[in-house]
Amino acid sequence: MRSIARRRRGLLLIAAVAAFAVTLGTSAGAGATSPTKAKAGGSGILRIGTTNYIDSFNPINFIETQAYNAFIMIYPQLVQYTYGKHGYRFQGDWAKSWKTSKDGKTWTFKLHSGTKWSDGKPLTSKDAAWTINTIVKYRNGATAVAAPALAHVQKATAPNPTTLVVHYAKPVGNVLAQLEQFFVLPQHVYAKYANTKGGKGLKTFHPEQHMPIVTAGAYTIKSYQKKGTTVFIPDPNFWGPPSHADAIALTYYTNADSMIADLKQGNLDWIDQVPFEAIKAVSKMPGVQLQKTLASETTNITWNSNPRKLKNRELLDPRVKRALSMCVNRKRIINVVFQGHASLVESLVGHISSLENPHLGPLKYNCKKGNQILNKLGYKKGPNGIRIAPATHGKYAQKAHPMSYEIVTPTSTDFNVNREFQIVQQGFKAAGVKVTQKVGGDSTATYALETDSKCDAAKHQGYSKFDIAMWDWAGYVDPDFMLSVVTTGQWCSWSDTGWSNKKYDKLYIEQGTTVNPAKRRKIVWKMQKMVYDQMVYTQLVNEQLIDAHSTKWTGFHIELGAYSKAYYTSPRKAG
Amino acid sequence: MRGTDFVLKRVFFAVATVFVAITVNFVLFRTVPGDAVSALRCRQCTPQFKAYERRTLGLDQSKLKQYWLYVDSLFHGDMGRSLRTQETVWSALWSPLKNTMPMVALGTLFSIVLGVATGVISAWRRNTFVDKAGLWTGLAFYAMPPQWLGLMIVLFVAGAIGLPTSGIETPTLGILGDPSTWTIVMDRLKHMVLPASALGLVLYGDYTLIVRSAMLETLGEDYVLTARAKGLSNWATVWKHGLRNAMLPVITLVALSLGFIIGGAITIEYVFSYPGIGLEIVEAIDQRDWPIVQGAFLLLALSVIFFNLVADLLYYKLDPRVTE
Repeated sequence: MRSIARRRRGLLLIAAVAAFAVTLGTSAGAGATSPTKAKAGGSGILRIGTTNYIDSFNPINFIETQAYNAFIMIYPQLVQYTYGKHGYRFQGDWAKSWKTSKDGKTWTFKLHSGTKWSDGKPLTSKDAAWTINTIVKYRNGATAVAAPALAHVQKATAPNPTTLVVHYAKPVGNVLAQLEQFFVLPQHVYAKYANTKGGKGLKTFHPEQHMPIVTAGAYTIKSYQKKGTTVFIPDPNFWGPPSHADAIALTYYTNADSMIADLKQGNLDWIDQVPFEAIKAVSKMPGVQLQKTLASETTNITWNSNPRKLKNRELLDPRVKRALSMCVNRKRIINVVFQGHASLVESLVGHISSLENPHLGPLKYNCKKGNQILNKLGYKKGPNGIRIAPATHGKYAQKAHPMSYEIVTPTSTDFNVNREFQIVQQGFKAAGVKVTQKVGGDSTATYALETDSKCDAAKHQGYSKFDIAMWDWAGYVDPDFMLSVVTTGQWCSWSDTGWSNKKYDKLYIEQGTTVNPAKRRKIVWKMQKMVYDQMVYTQLVNEQLIDAHSTKWTGFHIELGAYSKAYYTSPRKAG
Repeated sequence: MRGTDFVLKRVFFAVATVFVAITVNFVLFRTVPGDAVSALRCRQCTPQFKAYERRTLGLDQSKLKQYWLYVDSLFHGDMGRSLRTQETVWSALWSPLKNTMPMVALGTLFSIVLGVATGVISAWRRNTFVDKAGLWTGLAFYAMPPQWLGLMIVLFVAGAIGLPTSGIETPTLGILGDPSTWTIVMDRLKHMVLPASALGLVLYGDYTLIVRSAMLETLGEDYVLTARAKGLSNWATVWKHGLRNAMLPVITLVALSLGFIIGGAITIEYVFSYPGIGLEIVEAIDQRDWPIVQGAFLLLALSVIFFNLVADLLYYKLDPRVTE
């Protein structure tokens, strides 16, 4: 009797655990869901795999690039990019047309009429004006993340429901490029959060916790799981070309191998980025097609260029840095690290930029000449083959020492930075310079190593402990952002070199307020040349973006990722 | 020592360990370079803006003050808010925890059942082919890194048996129609099978080895010989006189495994893109979101301490000699 009772208890325990498992699993999986339904009849569901997730649906508080791509799909933008023979160009999104005043300080946008938010409330220019004025109001606090898109904006007005007027404090050279990064928010949803102290509520509001999210764009959100699948369904009120797919299911993978296995098994239709190591394997998969385009990422050797650094000051000399860089075989990096899917690059802004200076360099691989330069500069080789930096005098005097340095590398790159380091190490060795790798950890830890934990721009503190790093930058079509990262104003923020040059800083402000495109280009080219000549970075390669999709689908425009709603709306079933 | 003293002493040690865990939890994450504000990199991240953020998040206070505020809040049931999203820690952790617990529970249950069964059989059939096969299989799985085993399952098993390799549900489920509850439950179970199996297989090796070793010791005791001499069946000898007396080390292992249910299996979740507590912890560490990391580690510490206490008390129940 006792044993039967015990057995029953055991069975009950197992049953309870199983029930617990299933119940919890079911309730947990529900995630954030909106009652909206997708309509079948189009091209079916486009299943996308990604290794980057949507962390927020609030454009005032987000980090991940996948979140930015989602904003493009679900919120109105005034303008967006299109891509053609001549590269990236602007086209209207919610704005049908625009014009600027003679003094360049007032921009007027004509908007589509009869537009609605997903909850049925009218979408008018008042929403846009309110969003702009609110971001401007809290630009140094709660809305700082969204504020760069509205640099120099004084205010916005809405004279009628389809007209928006944006007033600038001074003429701005890249208004459309800035506004392309601006998302209109529903005033009737966000207004109450703007009334909190310092607008803090705007930052802490999470639309995804209040489903359904109020949207107005090509899609609405049917369901959202932060680390799972987000389902986008076409918004019938959208003013632009509608989605071919009945729905988009974007699934986050922490592990690219699982993602590729799912593509192979037909559980996915599209992978938005194939890791470089996996390209060969994916290219052999039947029914899968690879597609490539220019990526925004460039990799580089980052030189500590803080003029006040105390140690290894020989590395401040552009001639030394150039000589060393001449020993780095960048073509080998392309072939080994990127499997041939990258190209040489010279400018900080990268090939993606519409204003890349084509007259820089190229930096040629010529180690013999590099060694001659170092010899000529007085860096003689010691008995062990490592060069000696001679003693110097004056304010920043340093003793003679071997040219032996650490190179900091992050762990968060999308390419094999360890392999890239090895190639750079071999090159430097051929130049008589010893480098060892210092793994900096994730982005935050590596950045802390570069800037120092007590970085203070006002006191000129920081950028004193590292000599060299290897990392990457993701640029943009308009060069403004990439040009800004080496300004003194970005010390302890975006700057990872500590470079400080008053003339350059002045030019940066000038390019931002130069409306004439030819004049602006001239300034921008000059700035790129300054960075190149000073060897603030040694640019290594410009990556390519490789995606893979099922041959059952067609119409992909991967160059429009994070640039246009067409990135999701254009794919359709083949045949 | 009397039984009450034993229990009180164990409870006291458990409470003291909780305090140590809270303190270590606080100190540990402040020794890594960078904080939630230094992690910010944006064009508007001026020194003034960073100072504003530090004030808002209380990071401008002394470490001692921050510690005091942390402990005080904990006693009021408040684990704080995420520095990054401002979500409450509990709400940020509950959702992934709900995903993790069933998967780890399933894996642990699988490992206990399989591990105990193979351990007992190995010990009973000592030095036979069955014993050697069980022993070496157990050792092999015990030695396998969970992430490697997970990857092998993804690459070579998942496709062959048609089970999903990632997430907790089929991405397209319910988009164009209303699935029944049964469909949803089965879908969730299907997604749980591979990660739970990977976890279970690694743990199973551990159980097999411990149970085999404990059983070998017990089966060599005089009372087992006596039981056989009395003519008891093999089943009764092994079950009643062998396994029950070999349960002490097994209980420790079960308690430890259950304690780690809260912590999840970071590497397994990573391989199977399983949106559980492990992934949440990794992300929070990456973004220096201390309240989230502290909250997760505190829950983990509490669960380990709790289940260890339960194991201690079970020891007392199963073997009163521990009080001597």
